[in-house]
Order: sequence, then C-alpha cells, then structure tokens
Amino acid sequence: MQKPVKFITAILLCALLFCGCGVSQPIDDETAMQCTISINCANALVYGEELPEALLELLPADGVILEKTVVSVNDGDSVFDVLLQTAQKYGIHMEYVDTPVYNSAYIEGIGNLYEFDAGDHSGWMYSVNGEFPNYGCSSYLLNDGDAVQWVYTCNLGEDVGNVYGAQQ
Amino acid sequence: MCMEHSSNLPPASRDTFSTFHPAVTLLYFVLTIGTAILLMHPVILCISFIAAFSYTAHLGGIHAVKRSLIWVLPAAFLIVLVNAMFQHRGITVLLYLPSGNPLTLESILYGLAAAGMMLAVMLWFQCYHAIMTSDRFVYLFGRISPVLSLLLSMTLRFVPLCYTQFQNIREAQRSIGRDFTEGTVLKRMQCAVTMLSILFTWAVENAIITADSMKSRGYGLPGRSAFSIYSFEKRDKRALCWFLLCGFWISLTGVTGLMNWTYYPALNGIWLHPVSIGAYLCYLALCFTPIYLNRRENRIWERCKSEI
Repeated sequence: MQKPVKFITAILLCALLFCGCGVSQPIDDETAMQCTISINCANALVYGEELPEALLELLPADGVILEKTVVSVNDGDSVFDVLLQTAQKYGIHMEYVDTPVYNSAYIEGIGNLYEFDAGDHSGWMYSVNGEFPNYGCSSYLLNDGDAVQWVYTCNLGEDVGNVYGAQQ
Repeated sequence: MCMEHSSNLPPASRDTFSTFHPAVTLLYFVLTIGTAILLMHPVILCISFIAAFSYTAHLGGIHAVKRSLIWVLPAAFLIVLVNAMFQHRGITVLLYLPSGNPLTLESILYGLAAAGMMLAVMLWFQCYHAIMTSDRFVYLFGRISPVLSLLLSMTLRFVPLCYTQFQNIREAQRSIGRDFTEGTVLKRMQCAVTMLSILFTWAVENAIITADSMKSRGYGLPGRSAFSIYSFEKRDKRALCWFLLCGFWISLTGVTGLMNWTYYPALNGIWLHPVSIGAYLCYLALCFTPIYLNRRENRIWERCKSEI
C-alpha cells in the first residue's frame, strides 16, 4: 500500500519540478507568422535621476535596447514567449517571475534595468499595435503582423501614453 | 550547532592575547567582524577569511580546522548555489536556466563573497567564544546593566549546560532500562517524553536557583563590587592604541567611499588606490595581531628557557 503512494508522490514532485520550465517550440516556417518586437528604456534615462550610477553607464545612450525586429512566431505564442525567445536569441538579459494569481509571467527587469530602479512607479510595460492591454503578457496571444513594444515607464504608464485612470 | 562551535576550541589558556584586558579583546573582535560585515570588499573578505581560519587553527590546532572544514565547505557551496538559482542580475549571462531566467557570472561571484563573509564571521565568533569567556563579558557590561549581562551570560551558558544535563539524564535512564533507542514505538515515545519532562523541570529549577543565589549575594545592588583580576597594563594601552589607529584608518576609508564595491549589475569598485591599499594593510596587520603576539611571547619564552 505504501509503495504506490510513495511512487505517485515522487512522480507528482517531479512533475511540479518541471512544470515551471518553459518549452520553446521550434519554429515551423510554413505556419510561422511574422511579428515585430522592440525594447526601449528611454524614459528611464529621461526621468531616472535616481538610477544607480553603475546602471547609467550600462544603458544605451538613446535608450534602445532592441530595435524594431521582425520575429517569426508560432500559432498560440504569447507576448511573453516572444520576449523570452528574442532575449535569448540576441543575448539580452531578462528576468521574470511567474505570478500564478494572474496566470502570467511578470517581467522584473530587461537589460539589468529592473522595476523600481527609477522610482516607486517604474517598471516594464508592453503594448501591442500601440495599445496597452490591461493583463499579463503570457495571456496575450499574438496574431500575424502584431507590433509588440516593451517600454519602461517611470509613472505607472503615463509617460508611455497609457493613462492609468483612463482605463478604469 | 552553537554548542558544537563553542566547545570546538579548547579554553585558550596558552593564548597570550586572551590574557589582555577584556575591553581590548572586545575591540579587536568588534573591528575584525564589523569590517568584514560592513565592507563587502573582496580583498577585505579574503584577508578576513584567511585570518579567521589561521586564528582558529592557532587556538584549536589542526583538529579544530578539520572540524570546521566539515561544515564550512558544504555551507559555502549551498550559499553560492542558492544565490545563483534565485538571483539573476548581472551583465555576464553564462547560460539560461530551465525556467528561462539567466545564470550570470555576477550572481555566482556575489554568492562566493556572501559565503566568504558568513563563514569568516562564523569562524571569528568561534575564536570570540574561546577568548571572551562569560566572566569577561560580565566584567565589561555588569556595571552598565547588571540584569542584562547576567541574563546574557546565563542564556549563553544554558545551551552547553542543557546538553550536559541531557547526557546525564540519558545515562541514568538507560541504567534503569529506559532508553529511547529500544523497544516499541510507544515505549520509546514514553521514555523520550519522560526524559524531556525531567530536563524541563531541571532547567526551570536551575534558572530559579541561579537567580536566587545571585540575589542573595546582593548582585546588582548599588555600591557592590565584583571580583575581577583584570588590570589595564601598559601593553593593553599599546594594543588599544594600535587597534584604534587601524580602526580609524579603515573606517575613514569606508566612509569616504574609497572601499565601495558593487556586484550588480557589473563588478565595479576601487581596487588599487593608495588609501585603500593602506586600509588593506591595516586590516591585515589588525587581524594577525594576536598571532604575532603569541609568536613573540613564545620566542621570549624559548630564549629565557635556554639561558637558565
């Protein structure tokens, strides 16, 4: 009686161990869609007097971490999947945490620029085709031709054109 | 674990530094430990770790070093591993973890520095326990706050005392056939509970008796003096001046930011500057002062012996 229980527990534990790992699927060229992605932190440079000195030296002078780049995506890929693949492909530093409450990944920092680095209201946001979705980047599934922008905000989105109050 | 470490080193009877005035020895440990904690500079950490290890070896012999190594190495490995797993800052991406987050060189180096700092401090405290015995501690702080110093010394003494008493109880119980390693599960639990009950009763009673006996001797009453054999000699004065000089130089370097070192996002800091090199040398000399004093004392002893 005890052995099967132990065995099942072991399997469950193993499954738990691996369920956090993202599997990046190989891109199939025939069904691949084209999207664009860009990463920009110009706001941090404009507003960020609080930025640590070591960080100011690291960030690009014009704030462009990744220029508008065309990437192929699979059907059902989310904004997060594309960011993760692009970051790994171009060797851009990126850290995220999974937030099970929102069933999404939360981007803590890109290129060593982290949330709260430029004040209490700063962090990374994304827009698709110029609009800021009000939910997590793992939940947004991409369509063909979508333009994804990752931008750094210093005041909850106002400086990147997403007024927080207007969404309510 | 605390008991293990404090009993790891024999009482430092042959150590010259332990015969110095308690204020001087306390200042030494405050400076060595404080510098290592406040300035996480790689050079300072290296010096601190080597010095702490040497002093442990000096006090307890090669045996103490071996016993320390058994827990030092796994602990260091664990700290580095945990830091690399959960901290992803840093510009040098080595590879990507299965989760997709990067493993960076900086996080590994920070883990090494944190491990070095923690282990150096643990080794320093091992030396501290061997040299700053509770009577020295009570001598220093007894007049400022009698209650607090008695409480501290009783608490620190409690762990080894409790362990010894537990061994005694166990031996006594075993001799009447009540050992918790034999018999059915129920019987074993009964024995263990009995022994714990005896231990708690003893601990409470012991604390009350100690407090009562200190009270009956008039501990802490105004005008009451305590016996002490510590005198502030010329050598204490000299050592105190030396420690203060070193401490002043190191803290000046630290306050002016000449010893700043950042690990994230990129390794950055002042490495070679005349003032910081002076501070490294000061810290090195400070840390090795007790070993130097012992060596000198031994040499004098050997010379005197041959002349007799």
